[in-house]
Amino acid sequence: MSETTSKAQTQADAQTGQQSGGTTVEGETQEELREEWVQYEFDGQPAISTRDVNVHYGDDHALHDISIDIPKNSVTALIGPSGCGKSTFLRCLNRMNDRIKAADVSGEVEFNGKNIYDKGTNLVELRKRIGQVFQSPNPFPKSIRKNISYGPRKHGDIDVSLLSRLLGRDDSDEEDELVERCLRQAALWDEVKDRLDDNALGLSGGQQQRLCIARALATDPEVLLMDEPASALDPIATSRIEDLISDLAEDYTVVIVTHSMQQAARISDQTAVFLTGGYLVEYDDTDKIFENPESQRVEDYITGKFG
Amino acid sequence: MPRQKYQDALEELRDDVLYMSEVVAERLRMGLDALEQKDDALAEEVIEGDGEVNRMYLDLEQDCIDLVALQQPVASDLRFIAASFKIITDLERIGDLATNLAGYATEADRDVFPEVDIQQIGEETLSMLEMAMDAYAEEDPDRCREVATRDDEIDAMCEAASEMVVRDLIKADPFGESDLDEEAYMSDVSRLLLTIRDLERVGDHGVNIAARALYMVEDDDELLY
Repeated sequence: MSETTSKAQTQADAQTGQQSGGTTVEGETQEELREEWVQYEFDGQPAISTRDVNVHYGDDHALHDISIDIPKNSVTALIGPSGCGKSTFLRCLNRMNDRIKAADVSGEVEFNGKNIYDKGTNLVELRKRIGQVFQSPNPFPKSIRKNISYGPRKHGDIDVSLLSRLLGRDDSDEEDELVERCLRQAALWDEVKDRLDDNALGLSGGQQQRLCIARALATDPEVLLMDEPASALDPIATSRIEDLISDLAEDYTVVIVTHSMQQAARISDQTAVFLTGGYLVEYDDTDKIFENPESQRVEDYITGKFG
Repeated sequence: MPRQKYQDALEELRDDVLYMSEVVAERLRMGLDALEQKDDALAEEVIEGDGEVNRMYLDLEQDCIDLVALQQPVASDLRFIAASFKIITDLERIGDLATNLAGYATEADRDVFPEVDIQQIGEETLSMLEMAMDAYAEEDPDRCREVATRDDEIDAMCEAASEMVVRDLIKADPFGESDLDEEAYMSDVSRLLLTIRDLERVGDHGVNIAARALYMVEDDDELLY
C-alpha cells in the first residue's frame, strides 16, 4: 500500500479520535495499513503492474491506491468481503470499468511496458490480450464451433472474406485447428468433439463455462481475468474448472476473484486480500496468507470472525 | 461472533487437551509416588489407567481431524489445531512413561543408590510439563522458550545422576558383599537408570509441547528439531 493510503488512514483515525491498531470504530477493528504487507516480492517479471490505482463511483471512493505486481504464469486470487472492491480492481486490469459511466479510474496499469490507461490504447487489442471470463456462463447462442471462432474471425485472425472464399482460400482447416486447440486447453474437447455444430446453449453449466474459457483462449491472450468463474456451478463442475485454472497457469497469467476462500487456497499461488472500504490489506504467497497472515483484520476475515 | 459452533469446538478442543495434560501429569505424579513408596496398588492404578489416556488421545485426534475436514481452518486456527494434534501425541507418550515408572515400582527389589534423588528430578519434569501446558493455554511465547531452558537443566540433572550410578558401581564394588543377590541388584540398577532416562524423556516431550505451542503462537519453528 502506498504512503498516501497509510497517511489517509492515519488521518481518518485522527478524525475519529482513534489510534491505529486494534481500536474499534462502529464494531469494526481498525488497523493501520502497512506497506510491507502488500509488497510482494517474487522472481521473474510481472505480467501486470498497477500503481496507485484509485476508483471513484461518483462520491464513493471504491478503491484506494492499489499498487501490486502480478507474476506471469501464475494464479493470483483476489479475495475479500462483498463490496471490498476486488471485482472493481479486476475490471481495472482490462479497462472494463470504462463501460461504467460513473466509474472514474486513476493511476497506472502497466502491461507489456505500457500504461493501458494511456490515450490511444486500442481497447479491442487490449481485451484480446487480457481476456475475461464472467460469473455466469454466457456463451453466444450459436454453435460450439462458432463460439470459439467468433473472436478470431472478428479480429481477422481467421480470414473469411468473400474474396478468399471465391479464390478457394477458405481457412476452415485453420479454424478447425483453433477450435480443437482451445477446446482441448479448456478440457472440453472430449465431451463435445462429436457435436461441434450443436448450439452451445445445450451444454451443461459447467461445460458452458469451460466453453467460455475456451472462447477467451481463442484470441491468444496473455492474461485471463476470471470473476467468480465457478460460483454458479456444482462441486464437480467447480473442481473441473479449478483443475483447468491450475493447468492454464502454465501458459497464461490468471487473476481470479472468488468468494470461496477454500477455492483461493486450493488453486492460487498468491492471494491479495481486500477489505471493506476498498483497501488492499495484504498480498503474499497463498500459503502465507492462509497459515499466518500479518494483518489481524485479514486473520479475522479468513477465519470467519467477521465479514 | 460468526461461526459460533466452530469457535465453541475450538475452545472445547483446547479445554480437552488441557484436561488430558492434567490427567497425564497426575499419572506421572502417581508413578513417582509408587516408586518412592513401593506402593504396588498405586502402581497398578497407573498401569490400568493408561487405557483411559490412550482413549482420550484417540478421541482428541478424531476431534482434530473432524475440525480440519469439516471447518477448513486457516491461519491461527489451523496452527492451533495442528499444534494440538502434535501435543496430544507427546502427552500420550508421557502417559506411557508414567506407566513405565509404575512398572519399575512393582518390580523393584530394594533401594539402590538412595543418593540419586529421583523425586527431585520428577518434580522438575512435572513443573516443566506444567509450564509447557501453560504456555500452550495462554499462548505465551516467552514461556515456550523458558521450557527449553528448563529442559537443559533436567538433562544435566539426569546426566549427573546416571554418571553417579555408573561411577559408584565401579568404585564401590558392591559385589564384594557376600549376601548380595547379584541378579536382583543388577535389575534394580538397570531400573534406576531406566527411570532416569524416562524422566529425561518426559522433559523432551515437554520441549516438544513448547515447540508446538511456539509454532502455534508465532509460526516460529525455532524449538522444533
